[in-house]
Amino acid sequence: MTDAFALPTRFGAESLGGCYAPETLMQPLLDLEAAFRSALADPAFQAELKAELRHFVGRPTPLMAAPRLAAELGLKALYLKREDLTHTGAHKINNALAQALLARRMGKAEIIAETGAGQHGVATAAACARLGLSCTVYMGVTDMARQAPNVARMRLFGTKVVPVEAGQGTLKEAVNEALRAWAGRCDHAHYILGSALGPHPFPTLVRTFQTVIGEEARSQVQEQAGALPEAVVACAGGGSNGLGLLVPFLGDPLRRLAVEAGGHGRALGEHAARLDGGRMGVLHGCKTLLLQDAHGRTAETASISAGLDYPALGPELAALALDGQVEVRRASDDEALAGARLLCEREGILPALESSHALAALPALAAEGVATVLLGLSGRGDKDLSTYQSRLEI
Amino acid sequence: MNPLLPFLMAGDPSLEALPAQLSEARSLGIEALELGLPHSDPIADGPVLQGAAHRAIGRGATPTRVLQALAGLTGSPDLILFTYLNPLLQIGAERLKMLLAPTPVKALLVVDLPFGEEPTFEAALREAGYPMVPLLAPTTTLDRARQVLAARPDPGPAAPFAQRFAYVVARLGVTGEGQDAGQDAAQGTTQGADLTPVRERVTQLRSISGRPLAVGFGLSDAASLATVRAMGATPVVGSALVRELAQGKGLSACLTPLMDGDL
Repeated sequence: MTDAFALPTRFGAESLGGCYAPETLMQPLLDLEAAFRSALADPAFQAELKAELRHFVGRPTPLMAAPRLAAELGLKALYLKREDLTHTGAHKINNALAQALLARRMGKAEIIAETGAGQHGVATAAACARLGLSCTVYMGVTDMARQAPNVARMRLFGTKVVPVEAGQGTLKEAVNEALRAWAGRCDHAHYILGSALGPHPFPTLVRTFQTVIGEEARSQVQEQAGALPEAVVACAGGGSNGLGLLVPFLGDPLRRLAVEAGGHGRALGEHAARLDGGRMGVLHGCKTLLLQDAHGRTAETASISAGLDYPALGPELAALALDGQVEVRRASDDEALAGARLLCEREGILPALESSHALAALPALAAEGVATVLLGLSGRGDKDLSTYQSRLEI
Repeated sequence: MNPLLPFLMAGDPSLEALPAQLSEARSLGIEALELGLPHSDPIADGPVLQGAAHRAIGRGATPTRVLQALAGLTGSPDLILFTYLNPLLQIGAERLKMLLAPTPVKALLVVDLPFGEEPTFEAALREAGYPMVPLLAPTTTLDRARQVLAARPDPGPAAPFAQRFAYVVARLGVTGEGQDAGQDAAQGTTQGADLTPVRERVTQLRSISGRPLAVGFGLSDAASLATVRAMGATPVVGSALVRELAQGKGLSACLTPLMDGDL
């Protein structure tokens, strides 16, 4: 039994992050950090993770030049990191699989997870089926309706999907319920948090398992283009995709951008743009930029994208943004839809609504004179077909 | 020994009713009472307290209004403000101290604030007379329990119970679950529940600390509460009480049977 964290629990000048957990979860979190450190230091764990990422997930994912879209936007070159081509269709599987391996190593046979868009839920369900772990996923009822295909996929993998009716029925409520469930079963269950948020060690753990995206992309782009791009762009909900792509580029002389959900307006409740309206606060175990009312109660959020529809930005990404290492922008629902349509028409790829927010940042970057961009295509858009059909009138 | 530590959610049914409820509790012999500050994301609470918080927020119970409703109250039990951290952080330590000064609040139980996470904030409040209640969960090892109790020390026998006790969370999970899982939640009949693990935990914690213990364990029948009292600990009644009050039952009618029945 460990009685203190060994890894840094805070990020940046504002000391974001931390471990604001109920006492019941403190020892499980201490034990999780110890297991995480021991796994990272164990060549056998690393080898198994690497093999599973290759054969089950399909890594490395391609880095693909997108010349027709680049020409349309006025960019010299655009490279897409194709996380949409992973097994289960989004970057979420990198973390879900690694944490499932970690859970098995810890002797935990039961997995709890939350999901917003359903991609983390599907990834966790698949990893659990693969490793023989039982799995329960908490999902808001609004998200279950708008991401119905993913609910069916989770159930096919033998996962129990528990509808969460509280509040707006989106990701925030799903995390609430998953944390409650974990408090009741933490003696035998592991909670696979899907984004780089929550109490320490989750933000660090999730970022560590996601930086494979940026590490691959960085060497691929140098190999293909012979140089680094001028800008690297990712969408950001909690921040697992944003950190996963951007962190390996932190030391490089280029612009790093994270794009938040601008929703359908600028008033509180109409978007999920935390850097542009959020204040420092504590939610779900960490201190970070949070959309909240004057009384410290979490604000409602809105986004066409279930995966970005969350009131808090992950603490490490928020710290990087506040320290000037990452530029954070917002893209509205309409801008994201336009970005998706363009990628479909020019490159024959249907992006997830989340990834479409990153695409939506490209016209402005081109207008600013940026010539070469590497963009994280975090997931595929099959799950969003019904939204695209109704919003794009096809 | 303090026979019962009841929990009320501020603003449910209304903030206007709160002063009368508190003086009624005091007249029943309640020395200390946990008062919940309704929060939007109560991650450690079960359905009953979630519902109460939701209703209270809907009726306008903001943290500031709750504390203003408590200002100048006399004849109230000592209050332990049961809350999540973010509303307090947004008020800020300096303003919070001013808001607390005219109230019967004697301590804070901040569910999602482990010791050491906000040392400056916690020290400022402790120095102003508002210590944080130490929480000991079933997962808290004895080594960690020693750390928790040292970080949130007993101010000594001259201090009131509210500032001295350690809160023993006797089960895994969120508030109120034992009640929901009971055979007949409406009547709160949970007779036959095995309290041996609670007894063992209390005995174990007694071996490392002499301070008063309150035990929250999701049960509410008089016999179970009496069993806890016989262990030398104060039983907490939260969700069961909030549920009955929401059904329109009076506070005295709820509490009186629970104060009786000592073995």
